[in-house]
Amino acid sequence: MDMFEIISPLSVLLCFLGVFMGIIFGSIPGMTATMAIALFLPITYTLDLVDSIALLIGLYVGGISGGLVPAILLNIPGTPSSLTTTFDGYPMTQKGEGEKALKVGITASIIGGFFSLIILYFFAPVLASVAIKFSSVEKFLIIVFALTVIASISKGSLLGGIFSGFIGVYLSLIGMFADNNQMRLIPPGFEEELVYGFSLLPVLIGLFAIAQILQESETGMKASPHQNFDFKKDKKNRFTFKVFNGQLINTVRSSIIGTFIGMLPGVGGSAASISSYSQAKNFSKHPEKLGTGEPEGLIASESANNGLIGGALIPLLSLGIPGDSTTAVLVGAFLLQGIQVGPLFIPTNPDLWDGIIYALIMANIIMFFLMFFSIKYMAKIIYIPKYIIYPIIIVMCVVGSYAINNGVMFDVWTLLLFGLAGYVFMKIGIQVAPFLIGFILGGQLEKYFIDSLKGSGGDLTIFFTKGPIALGLWLLIAVSIIYAIVDNRRTKKSTAI
Amino acid sequence: MKGLLTVELKFSEYHTIFPNIMLTILIFLAVLMLFLNVIRRIKERRLREFHFQFFVDNYDKLKFFGTLVLIIAYAFVLESIGFLLATILFMFLISLLFIGDIKKKSIFVSLTNSLSTSLIIWYLFGQLFDITLP
Repeated sequence: MDMFEIISPLSVLLCFLGVFMGIIFGSIPGMTATMAIALFLPITYTLDLVDSIALLIGLYVGGISGGLVPAILLNIPGTPSSLTTTFDGYPMTQKGEGEKALKVGITASIIGGFFSLIILYFFAPVLASVAIKFSSVEKFLIIVFALTVIASISKGSLLGGIFSGFIGVYLSLIGMFADNNQMRLIPPGFEEELVYGFSLLPVLIGLFAIAQILQESETGMKASPHQNFDFKKDKKNRFTFKVFNGQLINTVRSSIIGTFIGMLPGVGGSAASISSYSQAKNFSKHPEKLGTGEPEGLIASESANNGLIGGALIPLLSLGIPGDSTTAVLVGAFLLQGIQVGPLFIPTNPDLWDGIIYALIMANIIMFFLMFFSIKYMAKIIYIPKYIIYPIIIVMCVVGSYAINNGVMFDVWTLLLFGLAGYVFMKIGIQVAPFLIGFILGGQLEKYFIDSLKGSGGDLTIFFTKGPIALGLWLLIAVSIIYAIVDNRRTKKSTAI
Repeated sequence: MKGLLTVELKFSEYHTIFPNIMLTILIFLAVLMLFLNVIRRIKERRLREFHFQFFVDNYDKLKFFGTLVLIIAYAFVLESIGFLLATILFMFLISLLFIGDIKKKSIFVSLTNSLSTSLIIWYLFGQLFDITLP
């Protein structure tokens, strides 16, 4: 199929607009790619199918990529998936290498994006034919496998991290259980507000943005060291593509991890970059340096979170299962156009399938050039004093929380509650990232667990006897946990010395 | 429980099965952590030492509690007096709090920041994109 028969000048323009708006949304903490897509959804009514896909894909790519800007410059992940970008990105900014860090991140992003695109192109049609056979048992095990990430990202105390993860799972169960419409775990008096539990977005930005602002106000809102640093004059630390020398394996590995985790339904962005970061750390020649401002960690995080985009589209286009909240909104966009996503999507809509691939190629290229050459201006954000930027962030978080479900005041309270909770968590040693992963995956974990038991009449052995795929998944889970334990011992030893 | 490997399934009880399992695991983990902690303390012979400090030394009481109170107050008045007014007021006050003095320049900076941000957000999101604002 010829590219120009499908892609019109209008769709190029819309893609550009999408990437641009996406980057803006992604770089504002509290505004996400999901929100950007949801916002532009009404506009797509009037567009033709490929044009609207170009716009939405642009928003998606821009929104995920834009998240690296505040992550690197302000230590606040602009999107959940740029969580690990803060680990090395922000220390680089503190060392005065902010611009270099941004460019490393952008370059890693486009590599990850293209990598996942290739996997999507070849893999989605194949997977569609295999995965039709997955039952709830396999799905449950996939979620358990995703949860083992908690073990590898726990800082210091492995047990503490797992505990934090289970607290997250437990809190995610608040609300009504869809099978028998019964409420559980709801504090008395909140039956109406908590029917569907806490919304993810306010929980997320509360834990990160509000908690951080509270922490900074505790220490008096002093200017961070990086704000007194003029990184433009620092010629020594200019970005060159040489940073990527010796990072080939890291980049490819992270892109693959990002793509494959993106494929796991419900796991989404943060887990992709988190596990690729932990793998980069495991394989690194000098793991102790990661987290102190190494491009290596940044590359791992950013190539994974853009790899995720292609990955998340795989189950969406081959199974009809949205891989994360963003692709869930995309399902809505397809439905608006009267198109059913599922195993038959690709064979029945070859033009649209090509259109999606071309839109992804375009969006990635546009994203790269747009960000690479405007980053100098974007980077100015760090010179804005905290007393100006933090009030703006608080208001944006409130607006974002309020708007995510079309004006629910309770979501704003959720934001504040979890902001405070995140602050208290930091003090008493509950780890925020494991907590959040548990919270994100909890609902799915329960659903597939109960579904599996329904099929087996309550027999727990079903998880082992289901078949070879289930056993293979158990093997993956076991390897992942053992690896995490060994790794935890190793880091403990190295820090003890 | 019929046996260890079978879970009794009742339609009316579906919603409690999983939370109960999670709660059991949480209690088990908590007991385990406590147990390990006590063992470590016995080994290191400092069973009775507790020094847990919630706030950092010399924490900025005014800014911390000020921020907390202002954010909560902001959320409280948000729906009653409307987004625009509430946000302008909130941003003005919290910027002043963060700057930490009430010189003319600080007031000017706070006022500009609060007015411009509130109006831009209100126009861009509320009017242009039609997002529901409080």
